Amino acid sequence: MSEVTREIFRNFPIWMQIAFYVVGLTTSAFFVFGFWLRYKKYSKGSPAGRFNNISARFFKALGVMASNKTIYKRDTYAGTAHWLIFWGFIVLFIGTVIVAVDHDFIELVFDYRLLQGTFYKWFSLFMDVAGVLFIIGLLMMMFRRSSKPKQLDYARPDRTPEEYDRSGYKKDDKTFLWLLLTIAVTGFLLEGLRIAADGFPSFEVWSPVGYIVGHLVDGLPTNTLHMYTWWFHGIIVLIFIAYIPYSKAMHMLIDFTNLMFTEDNAVQRLPLVTEEKMKKGMGYIQLEDFTWKELMDFDSCTKCGRCHVACPANASGAPLSPRDLILDLRTYSNQEFSTKEWFGQSLTNGSKKKKDKVVVAGDVIKTETLWACTTCMACVEACPVGIEHLTSIIQMRRTLVEEGDMEDSLQDALANLGDYGNSFGQSERMRAKWTKSLDFKIKDARKEEVEYLWFVGDFASYDAGVQRMTVKVAEIFNMIGLDYGILYEGEKNSGNDVRRIGEEGLFEMLVEDNIATFDDASFKEIVTTDPHSYNTIKNEYPDFGSTYTIHHYTALLCQLIDQGKLTFSKKLSHYKVTYHDPCYLGRYNGETSAPRKLLEKLGVQFVEMRRCKENSFCCGAGGGRIWMDDSKLDKRPSEMRIEEALEIEGVNLFIVACPKDYTMYSDAVKTSGNEERIAVKDIIELIEEAL
Amino acid sequence: MNIIVPIKQVPDLVEELEVDSSGKSLDREWLKFKVNEFDDHALEEALLLKEDTGGTVTAIALDGDDIDKALFAAAAKGADRVVKITGVDGAPTNHQAAKAFANALSSLDYDLVFTGVQSVEDRDGQLGVLLAHYLNLPHISVVTGVSVSGSGVNVQKEYGGGVIAEFEAATPIVLGIQAARETPRYVPVAKVRRAMRSTEMEEMTAGDISVGAGAEIQRMFKPESSGSAEMLSGSAEEIASTLADIIKNKM
Repeated sequence: MSEVTREIFRNFPIWMQIAFYVVGLTTSAFFVFGFWLRYKKYSKGSPAGRFNNISARFFKALGVMASNKTIYKRDTYAGTAHWLIFWGFIVLFIGTVIVAVDHDFIELVFDYRLLQGTFYKWFSLFMDVAGVLFIIGLLMMMFRRSSKPKQLDYARPDRTPEEYDRSGYKKDDKTFLWLLLTIAVTGFLLEGLRIAADGFPSFEVWSPVGYIVGHLVDGLPTNTLHMYTWWFHGIIVLIFIAYIPYSKAMHMLIDFTNLMFTEDNAVQRLPLVTEEKMKKGMGYIQLEDFTWKELMDFDSCTKCGRCHVACPANASGAPLSPRDLILDLRTYSNQEFSTKEWFGQSLTNGSKKKKDKVVVAGDVIKTETLWACTTCMACVEACPVGIEHLTSIIQMRRTLVEEGDMEDSLQDALANLGDYGNSFGQSERMRAKWTKSLDFKIKDARKEEVEYLWFVGDFASYDAGVQRMTVKVAEIFNMIGLDYGILYEGEKNSGNDVRRIGEEGLFEMLVEDNIATFDDASFKEIVTTDPHSYNTIKNEYPDFGSTYTIHHYTALLCQLIDQGKLTFSKKLSHYKVTYHDPCYLGRYNGETSAPRKLLEKLGVQFVEMRRCKENSFCCGAGGGRIWMDDSKLDKRPSEMRIEEALEIEGVNLFIVACPKDYTMYSDAVKTSGNEERIAVKDIIELIEEAL
Repeated sequence: MNIIVPIKQVPDLVEELEVDSSGKSLDREWLKFKVNEFDDHALEEALLLKEDTGGTVTAIALDGDDIDKALFAAAAKGADRVVKITGVDGAPTNHQAAKAFANALSSLDYDLVFTGVQSVEDRDGQLGVLLAHYLNLPHISVVTGVSVSGSGVNVQKEYGGGVIAEFEAATPIVLGIQAARETPRYVPVAKVRRAMRSTEMEEMTAGDISVGAGAEIQRMFKPESSGSAEMLSGSAEEIASTLADIIKNKM
């Protein structure tokens, strides 16, 4: 061979070439059929309304995919391994396509070969490098799997080991890695055999790995071995193609699509219940009630386990793992819509009741699993492929609420919220009772014009412990001459957690009442200390016609510092503090800088906890959990969080910026016996001290 | 079994109570009303019994503040019929209320009547007894469980000291429900709204509610403190002996 190229179907008789195309087309048919089944499944879902800005969505997902940034996030090792496999695969795939187009089209039609000369040399080098990176990535992943990290452990918090079987998934995990590794290794072997059989032409040094392998196999019957290896390699590749849509390999295609159709605000701003649904029954009863995006969420899961280890419910021994919730829904949807997985799971885990009509909420996913969620959003934030676990959970909770399937204490809280507009079951007239201890009068924004309307919120208004903080906030607002007022008995619970419980009708009632009160009052902007109220007023009230801007008090105080209206006379450098980001402020709304800026101005020694900012760990009170029983947990999330803070050498203050956090952590410090070591303070207490 | 559940609105004790200028009743203008919580249990027990053995549940109430909402909530929970009795003004006495209910029930078909065992306005639980009297029916009070037994019912009645008696009773009968087997169910707002659209509110007039008997309130007042509290201090022995002396002297 004098030409710089390689022969495709080297030494193959024509029947063998035909045989290859026949097998290839058959496996391709499996591939197409598999994805067609998935497409059919998603088309059975309800509308998700995610077809706006298609090109922006496409390029955003492309960026995420190309950079692998969601996989790199907080896990450089897995990110690197995935990046190597991802780009190795893409380059090798493109290479294979070039070979196919060159051989089956360009050569046939134009009698010209692309793969020759300089192009072939560079092509060879590129493919060899990609192959090596690909193999390194796969080995890294294999090594990682063998070291048994917590997130890859399939143990479920909601079932005993006898009640489920994850052996199918384990086989799938192994199969996926081994198929890819076999393809890569036999590819190099094949290359080496060919180079050796051709007598090491000099231009083949451009295939350095193949060249080395060639020397290793030199002396063997390379021509015959090449033929066998070729077929082995070819068959494995074709099996892999057929395997893709029926295995975890489907993530290669589905997850890009899923990333494309995620919504930035999907859980901050929950889906409305349509008028029609309100009349018929809220929530999800059948699989068809899920949107196609949610059905796609189930298939997108790669079982990376990031949500599983991020989840405070799972960590505290509650019967919920967001991973298993999504996988159970996948298994159930596969079963109902006849989409198969080669290494599938079955739902007959002994827990599913025999019923004529299976209801998703309560039957497929257990009631206690759904109620265990704190809606902290850690799962959604951690998911590298855009799964929105929370919308599915809340839709199923809506069904539970419809059925009245909930704890008594939660029921009482909802009844109180309906009767009095607060969960404490106290009179509306007592809402502003805390103002009695002030030596000045706060303006009534319903009667006087103010610049800022202070939405106080339930806990800050009624909880005896938090009221002390509320008073301090009022005193500081007053001291710096802020023009503000409150709504007195006109304010009602903002409804953030009511909505996350799934009591949409009550949520709407509260929102409508609050907006009506806002509209009657005169103010420019809203301020609140409560991240929960902040979230819903900012993100969800606009759906009900509200047009007001809301600030968290930490952000407003920062602004006032910048304007020179708030100055500190003391530096609190004797405190070594850490700060807990409230879920609804940091993770939900990205506000992590204002509280830190305040701490910096206060001059405290500030140290971050292991998990901070958008990766903060929930106190366990969100999504209505504060009204449910937490005595059955192995360990309360709030206590774990206090221990996490105590990992910091010499820390003596745990700073919070959320009324519920103040309650939860003040309690946790006591129940975990750490009162001597650390104290919980609202950031407002530090500000008061530094004035 | 066809069950009728009379429902009563009572003052919500969350709000501060004021006595009106007559000095004989609460100032109702500032009161907030809510369904008597024992009536909620009566309704729950009726719904559970209906779910177990079939039949119908009818919720019936005297007209008043927010009564429509309470009746629609009952319908949303599963009551088949909701009936509002009009023509009773102000705050009827237990006798008048019982008479009004009795008048209405005379034109309804039923096997069982479940009232709440008592209410904040009726701590001695007269309403059920009086209703049974006007209907000329037997009555069992402080009931904690009802099940169908043959053509009648098996009734569990709670006595003091944790003693429970079981009765076999023929229907029709009036039962004063102390507690339902399960916590009264929560009814979501959307379901109540649905019930408002789909449920027909029936109306009946109270008819003659004049009664010849009953106690009359002479004076209503807030508990008066006598200021005779004495705080005991000292060691446990000292306190015990002072306490013993006080008891001896007062006996």
